[in-house]
Amino acid sequence: MLSRGIISNFRTPAIPFPTTCKYSISDKDLESRGFILRRTISDLNLDHLNSVFVAVGFPRRDPEKIKLALEHTQSLLWVEHKRSQKPVAFARATGDGVFNSIIWDVVVDASFQGIGLGKAVMERLIEELLEKGICNIALYSEPRVLGFYRPLGFVSDPDGIRGMVYSRKQKKKK
Amino acid sequence: MLTRNVAAPSSLCPILPYDWQFQVSDQLLFPHNLNPNLNRCCSTRKIKGFRLMANFWESIRSGILKNNAIQIVEPASTLQEEEDPVPEEFVLVEKSHPDGEVQQIIFSSGGDVDVYELQALCDKVGWPRRPLSKLATALQNSYMVAALHLVRKLPDQEGNEEKKLIGMARATSDHAFNATIWDVLVDPSYQGQGLGKAMVEKMIRTLLQRDIGNITLFADSKVVEFYQNLGFEPDPEGIKGMFWYPRY
Repeated sequence: MLSRGIISNFRTPAIPFPTTCKYSISDKDLESRGFILRRTISDLNLDHLNSVFVAVGFPRRDPEKIKLALEHTQSLLWVEHKRSQKPVAFARATGDGVFNSIIWDVVVDASFQGIGLGKAVMERLIEELLEKGICNIALYSEPRVLGFYRPLGFVSDPDGIRGMVYSRKQKKKK
Repeated sequence: MLTRNVAAPSSLCPILPYDWQFQVSDQLLFPHNLNPNLNRCCSTRKIKGFRLMANFWESIRSGILKNNAIQIVEPASTLQEEEDPVPEEFVLVEKSHPDGEVQQIIFSSGGDVDVYELQALCDKVGWPRRPLSKLATALQNSYMVAALHLVRKLPDQEGNEEKKLIGMARATSDHAFNATIWDVLVDPSYQGQGLGKAMVEKMIRTLLQRDIGNITLFADSKVVEFYQNLGFEPDPEGIKGMFWYPRY
């Protein structure tokens, strides 16, 4: 049923964050450490973002196409490093706005990994999607970062559902 | 009960080379009774549309002849096929009844789906109900909504035709890199004919032509093989689909 974006019952999900502080790191904490949370693409330098993507291993993509993708993205969040004014963490989600959402392009600049920025971005992105009423939140995770997504509440292959990707090269013939 | 005029030995529909003739394509596309209306709705697409349709027909025909296995037929020139613009609407299957009634199954990717009809179709396949307004919004926000309609043209009533939704699939996308296919369904009365396969295959082709290279979906364990036969790979390079606090 999940592949159809349906939850089996319609009760509102309980927010799994501790009630004292909504997030692992608060907005205030982030700011005091020199990071600003951003939720729009204004002031986002796409060349800088592209460099972060490439540095973590994504293929280099045409900035114009990245712009097009971001303009058709439901929700996005990025962290700006105050001093350099560069994006150092990013995540975005696409979907139909009511049932399903997929999170893409989750990155943290290598120099800023391990201090909770990825988690900060993910927690807020998920909350934004939940606030819109979207309960089916999915993503595709490389094997080496499954351990990053699990503590955030993600489960792989629930109920035997498999993520599949179209491959032009292979076609199974019977 | 309609009888289908499908009696094609496997040699009748070979994969044609790039420079086939238009006249030849007529015979190979549809069995017998070629409906002049077919030419009308497809004439604007020129030859290229027919070339694409031949492969759909081939795979559907194979599906009909072989009861269980749905066979993928490798096109002679994949590159050529991907270069041809995929028509937004065309006749996928045509059947003629002895009394003159003509049934057509029409594919469209223009999003022409009545939300009430869709609700009824979801009921038919046994999916839990979703609010109509949300269904409508989901369709509007989808990058592509593909539909299969059954059109029945009755012999005595000129110009009068019934149109019924019998299949749907939709895809969300960021219009640039990624697309995800959701909600693939075919009316149980019309399953097993290769219609779902044709629908998804056409969606894939359209997406690829729009240069959206990453086409993904999440498949229930029972249909993983169905999508594998269409060219999808589960967990490529170990990449796993994950869901946030899924409810089963």
